[in-house]
Amino acid sequence: MLHSLQLLLPALIPSWRFFDVISPSPRIEFILLKSVQDAGDQWHQLRPNPARLSFTTMLHRLLWNPDWNESLFLVSCAERMIENPTKDTEQEILDRIKFDLKKNGSQVRKINYLQFRLVFISRDRDGLRKEILFTSAIHPCAEDAVS
Amino acid sequence: MNLEFAVRLTEIMLGFAFLQQSLEHIASPRKEQILFFPRVVLSFLLIIGFQTPWVCLALVILGLFILHRFQGPYNGGSDRMGLLILCCLCLISFMPNLQWQEYIFGYLALQVMLSYFISGWVKIVNPEWRNGRALKDVFLFSAYPVAESFRKFADYPRLLGLASWGVILFELAFPLTLLTQQTLMVGLGIAAAFHLANAWLFGLNRFFWIWLASYPSILWLQTRIFGQ
Repeated sequence: MLHSLQLLLPALIPSWRFFDVISPSPRIEFILLKSVQDAGDQWHQLRPNPARLSFTTMLHRLLWNPDWNESLFLVSCAERMIENPTKDTEQEILDRIKFDLKKNGSQVRKINYLQFRLVFISRDRDGLRKEILFTSAIHPCAEDAVS
Repeated sequence: MNLEFAVRLTEIMLGFAFLQQSLEHIASPRKEQILFFPRVVLSFLLIIGFQTPWVCLALVILGLFILHRFQGPYNGGSDRMGLLILCCLCLISFMPNLQWQEYIFGYLALQVMLSYFISGWVKIVNPEWRNGRALKDVFLFSAYPVAESFRKFADYPRLLGLASWGVILFELAFPLTLLTQQTLMVGLGIAAAFHLANAWLFGLNRFFWIWLASYPSILWLQTRIFGQ
């Protein structure tokens, strides 16, 4: 409870430094593996943005936007994994990848293992630079973790 | 706007904002639903004004569990603003006299004003915001644009430079809008449009609803200080 009170303090005395600097931006990528030894190279971006959105979809999202808000939470988790990595945060990301796979009817049952990595995008002189700052251990795809 | 009406309006608007947020979690993993089903019920009770002090207290306690669950706010600034409004309402409902209630509601209004002014200040001292580069980066590579088509805005540096200065100057000038009720209404209208644009372009819908819930406090403060 003391820890929760510490987390509450920035809400009671906020800093309000919105977008003061534009930091490197994380993307979560994952790979599905058949075995621990499987050396796959097909990394998928978790929840890539749609190419475009219709006017009605955007209007609807003013009231109902759970997936996007969850994606923003995952951005926070990815940033936290670099600043202050914990097993809980890693598990949070992992659980949501599994939940997504299950929700989207992926062939997760045929896949035994899962790994994710955090790719940070920033501006370079000539364009954009991508850096892999974290690669998780290989985790089994047990479905009980996504309840 | 008197204190009683402004507080009641804040309770109703916060209740709707919390209800919207909580319903978004209903399709989440089961462990989250346990926290957000009670929040739906409490938000409804807050809207109808049933046992408000105890409902606020229960929402604060539930808020601590939610903070613990996500190891911080789920959606950054919008959750923090929600908790700030909630804690102020909770304290007001347990305060013994009007003077202390006014101090607390005034603190909330001050924070709303600072939420704009400080955001403007941290931008104007940053050369990348002044030359439009920061906003270009937001569109170019940040995680925020809700569709890839919006990244094309990065190709319009002059437009982004103008937009950056527009946001910076508005945020810095916001405290001046308190001088009269008319200027404040215009200021809050522009601020709401700004949050709506952020919701539209960056999917920050929770910011829009929660900041609206804080506006009665600043409307009350303007009346309390300037009496017009």
